[in-house]
Amino acid sequence: MHMRAEKKPDTKAGAAGGRKTKLKAIVFQAGPLIALVLLMAYLAFATSNFLTFDNLSNVARQSAFVAIIAVGQTFVILTGGIDLSVAAIAALAASITAVLLTQPLVLFGVDFGFVPPPVAVLIGLFIGVAAGAINGWLISKFKIPDFIATLGTMTAFRGAALLVTDGLPVPSFNAGRQLPETLIWVGGGQLFGVPVSALIALLCAAAGWYVLRYTALGRAIYAVGGNRAAAHSSGISISRTKIMTYAISGLLAAIAGIILVGRLNSANALMAEGEELRSIASVVIGGTNLFGGEGGVWGSIIGAAIIGVLGNGLNLLDVSPFWQRIAQGIVIVVVVIFDQWRRRSMTRV
Amino acid sequence: MNQHEILLKLENIEKRFPGVVALKSISLEVRAGEVQVLLGENGAGKSTLMKILAGEHPPTDGTIVVGGRKVPALTPTLATELGIGLVHQELSLIPALSVTENIFLGRMPRNAFGKINWSKAHADARHALEALGVFIDPAAEVRTLEVAEQQLVEITRVLERGPRILLLDEPTSALSDGERSRLFDVIRLLKQRGHGIIYISHHLSEIPLIADRVTVLRDGIVVKTLPADQADEETVIGLMVGRRLEEQFPKEKVELGTPVLVVENLASGTTLKDLSFTLRRGEILGVYGLMGAGQAEIASALFGLQAVNAGSVEVEGKRANFRHSSDAIAAGLGLISRDRRQSLVPMQPVGPNLSLSWLAGKSLLSRLDLTREREEGSRYISDLRIRPASTTHKLFFFSGGNQQKVILARWMSSGARILIFDEPTRGIDVGAKAEVFAVMSRLVSEGASILMISSELNELIGMADRALVMRGGRLSAELPRKEISQQNLLRYAS
Repeated sequence: MHMRAEKKPDTKAGAAGGRKTKLKAIVFQAGPLIALVLLMAYLAFATSNFLTFDNLSNVARQSAFVAIIAVGQTFVILTGGIDLSVAAIAALAASITAVLLTQPLVLFGVDFGFVPPPVAVLIGLFIGVAAGAINGWLISKFKIPDFIATLGTMTAFRGAALLVTDGLPVPSFNAGRQLPETLIWVGGGQLFGVPVSALIALLCAAAGWYVLRYTALGRAIYAVGGNRAAAHSSGISISRTKIMTYAISGLLAAIAGIILVGRLNSANALMAEGEELRSIASVVIGGTNLFGGEGGVWGSIIGAAIIGVLGNGLNLLDVSPFWQRIAQGIVIVVVVIFDQWRRRSMTRV
Repeated sequence: MNQHEILLKLENIEKRFPGVVALKSISLEVRAGEVQVLLGENGAGKSTLMKILAGEHPPTDGTIVVGGRKVPALTPTLATELGIGLVHQELSLIPALSVTENIFLGRMPRNAFGKINWSKAHADARHALEALGVFIDPAAEVRTLEVAEQQLVEITRVLERGPRILLLDEPTSALSDGERSRLFDVIRLLKQRGHGIIYISHHLSEIPLIADRVTVLRDGIVVKTLPADQADEETVIGLMVGRRLEEQFPKEKVELGTPVLVVENLASGTTLKDLSFTLRRGEILGVYGLMGAGQAEIASALFGLQAVNAGSVEVEGKRANFRHSSDAIAAGLGLISRDRRQSLVPMQPVGPNLSLSWLAGKSLLSRLDLTREREEGSRYISDLRIRPASTTHKLFFFSGGNQQKVILARWMSSGARILIFDEPTRGIDVGAKAEVFAVMSRLVSEGASILMISSELNELIGMADRALVMRGGRLSAELPRKEISQQNLLRYAS
């Protein structure tokens, strides 16, 4: 039949195009990693002390905070949302944990004494989950845009952190205990020569990868971000998916915040300001589609590493901090331009 | 006037979209004073061709000659300048503006100070409408008009720009018989004045009424152009479908079983007012209606995607009150929705799209069954001949027909027993259609039941055991298989 004769070359062309797009896809997917390697190679030649053990440990330790937040942010962005409140949640969880670790718990005038340190940490993590769940609930129950909801809660969570700490750094100079040594080790110490905080970041990423790859939640996240209507008509609960996603983001923010307390040996309500934007930048640099449905956590870890290495490298090259900000901004925009171009060329067969 | 003057000539027009070749090679000409009826199934390329002529899409290849001027592509402005006017299938009027404003959109008559001359505008609009034998208040807001009236306003608006070549894309789909004959009078008038008209229609019965020549499109090529007196229905259907009807509609005789879906006095949304029917095991129950007759809201209402205002639904003898699609899926329903884009996750390959419905009603913390997903993915790819036969390609790169097969596979794998097919063949090519119909036959012979909502008369005639016809949100007729015909479906629908 005429029609069939017409069809054949089409499918052949399709298959050849398929192989080509596959190869392209691999190259593009490795893009962020290639960028990181090139950046590191350049810095290794251009500076004398970039490629030293101390310096690399330092970069890893500093990047861990953003990397952990970025894992949660990846979940949120994959659903097509955005979480501006992550840094505020980190500060809130950090503040509450630090206060519980250094001061006796007094509720409604009753003194409960000191809370055991593990319980203090668990309460901090729980606060993170609850704060994230509030975000997800607001977004799905009242149908407000993710951006607006988390912009609002960002301010509110900071306010809550100020209330908890009374606006003062914790531990304060004149009262209460010091922070436990274990926490300081987690924040700044090393295990087998590797910063503990960086190990925890990798652990979080592995857990995130597992959830995205092997659980119903992970699949629902990709479906909601890839096509909300399809997810809905296939029986997936959008609101449950959203709430769990934001709760996970909140949990990871709390983990990052508590580790940061250990690293700085201090907490305050305004810590980590602006880090929400760096987490979003990490996710985008890592290749996750800002509109949802495509991407993954390992890319975001690489994105966080690129931002960390870039900052460190510019320091070593003695670039002024003002120029550093300009450079970081340019990198983000260039990456997004590249990403757009990549997507267009992928959809052109 | 030279009646044989060629107003428009297309040579080897080709149009590619990512992953789809919409037009392979289209060559045709339109002469002054003729009505050329353009026929073809959905997906044959008619609408793409219209969009190219209206300048909305540039062709990938080929040339267009309009009034002796050769152009590689048209823009909307150039098309208007060269005298091409398109009456869209979907109305492009602005509902909140008056009839007059819509007719003269952007060209309202003004006085010397630039102020709109309303009395002249209304008078001109009235005059233009009356020239078509239409009496509509020019000051009325368009949203207050009937669909048919809106259609006539749309035609008036296009004609006001003085086109020589008029493209009409299914202009009668929303018109009653009386309105239709009035439109045909207008078309004959335009013909006499030397306009060249391309008229797209699904109603083969209109050919003897209006056509001078008939051009049949199939899969993006012109199959044949023939004079109207040779274009009897059988010949034309044969050309459109490219095979005999029995091959296109592989309908099997299936013994009907007990009722599985009983719907009583269902009302939902704004158009579905009152619908009762019973669907039996092994049955394909067709539903037909013109635009706005309520059939478009049946699927959403039954599937828990939109609130039910009144009435009751029983599934396998149990009262069903679905509040979410997961309830419907749990009860054994499956939905092939009218818009594929509402069903697919385009950036995921076959497997995840297939297994999406398995997640319904499951805890989000449960583990995915990736082994089953892989196995069923490959099985359905070979079983339904999904092309490319790949488990790694994103669905974005699949053609419409193959995407549709993936959605079919989704519901087959979820074990759905009652399937709602809402316009199951919209925008897929003829070959894929036949495959979809074959799957439908297979499903009912295996004991499933299908509610087939369709605006394609041939499909309903070919596949349905029984057909419900809707009008104004209510049932207007229930036709047994032997009475399902174009005439009956259209008569009870309008």
